[in-house]
Amino acid sequence: MADEALVDRLDLTIDALLARGDATAALKDPELAPLARVAAELRYAPDRAFRARLLATLKRRTTMTTLVLEPTQIREGFTTVTPYVRMRDAGLLDFLVAVFDAKETFSIKGSAGGLHREVRVGDSMLMIGEGGVEGTLPFAPAAFHVYVPDVDAAFQRALTAGGTSMGDPEDRPYGERAGFIKDALGNHWYIGTAFGESYVPAGRRTVTPFVHPRGVPAYIDFLTRAFNAEIEIRAEHQGVVAHARLRIGTGAIEMGDTQGAVEPERTGFYLYVPNADALYEQAVAAGATPLSPPADQSYGDRVGSVMDAQGITWFIARPA
Amino acid sequence: MTVSADDHERSLIEAAQADPARFVDLYERHFHRVYAYVARRTSSRAEAEDITSEVFGHALTNLRKYEWRGVPFVAWLFRIAANALTDRWRQASRDGYELPPEVPDAREADEIERRAMVCQLVDRLPDAQRQVIEMRFVEQKSIREIAAALDRSEGAVKQLQLRALENLRKYMEGRDG
Repeated sequence: MADEALVDRLDLTIDALLARGDATAALKDPELAPLARVAAELRYAPDRAFRARLLATLKRRTTMTTLVLEPTQIREGFTTVTPYVRMRDAGLLDFLVAVFDAKETFSIKGSAGGLHREVRVGDSMLMIGEGGVEGTLPFAPAAFHVYVPDVDAAFQRALTAGGTSMGDPEDRPYGERAGFIKDALGNHWYIGTAFGESYVPAGRRTVTPFVHPRGVPAYIDFLTRAFNAEIEIRAEHQGVVAHARLRIGTGAIEMGDTQGAVEPERTGFYLYVPNADALYEQAVAAGATPLSPPADQSYGDRVGSVMDAQGITWFIARPA
Repeated sequence: MTVSADDHERSLIEAAQADPARFVDLYERHFHRVYAYVARRTSSRAEAEDITSEVFGHALTNLRKYEWRGVPFVAWLFRIAANALTDRWRQASRDGYELPPEVPDAREADEIERRAMVCQLVDRLPDAQRQVIEMRFVEQKSIREIAAALDRSEGAVKQLQLRALENLRKYMEGRDG
């Protein structure tokens, strides 16, 4: 064996190692022995592709961990994303009660005379700021996609409650019978009853906030970088993103490009996350304008706020 | 480990406990050690990969429970790995394993360290040598198959294999010294 060139002796040794896990013969060959020892270690070398895959999996998981609270850390009914509508005038709660059988779960008068309400619609929560002094969050109408058991009946109730039709109930190509309402305060309600077994499609909740940003692709990119949003649906029609649905933690928002037909909402979103400071920094790094850095609030949450390029305010909160 | 290495490790752990996104730093630091330990005690590559995934998944979930008491983080990972191996050991035929699941003793810990180091150093090889090592040892291809895949002569592939092992030995000596 020693007559053969080292390059061939080494290869025979590696063959034996891979086939039988045995390189003892090589250890008697002083030239070969140190190389055989290294080769023996390499038998257990990991696959580089596996290492990269596991890294990607862990990154995905840590992203979720950064964003998603344990169920015990978040108040019942809330998800990562709660729409926060600021209205100068009263009336939204009455509309929600009349049309969607909403229940107010909490209300408190603020120091500036405004009222903070929390309202449950089906399985979803909404925050409403009513009256008082216009502060961080401007008075502005919002838009919502709401699932109901009977869209025709809900649509009639909405008209009775002061809404105007923006599109009567019809079977729509996107899997639901839907009618569109503008309420007396200017909010848009896209009311639908899904075709199929349940009037709420699997994986959806009763209410999903809807926005009409200028430039949907750029806005999706921003939400991805700022809040780890993940695209669930992205439907393009003639080069325009007609409808997109993005998941943020356990919550979601929807959006569509109406090519200027609807003004972008200057509404708010309240995010409940495990680490408000980290997500605040991430949002600012992604291009959001800082409004107030995270600070402990009298009601227990630690909250920071930013505004995005569309004029939407994001409250980034770690719950008490 | 030196005191400064301890301090560094501790800062990485605290960073990951505060912000889970930083866990990937700990993964990069200890992947090869965990894999080196697990691979010796599993009967196939697929199983070694499953258990390694389990170990880091469990470590991420339970990171907040890890308390720094001067016990290296890697010892905590080995404990998780030993538990995962024990579960499999109980489920599967025991013949499948070369060694029973145990937390490594000092001697084995040294062996693991050496094996992890060699595998880590493969990344530092020139591309052509690294490719040959990965195809030969990870994909378990013959010299002939590698020569065909890389469009080189068998002699050239054997030369690359020899150079790669010589380089790895040199790197290791550099480390030991």
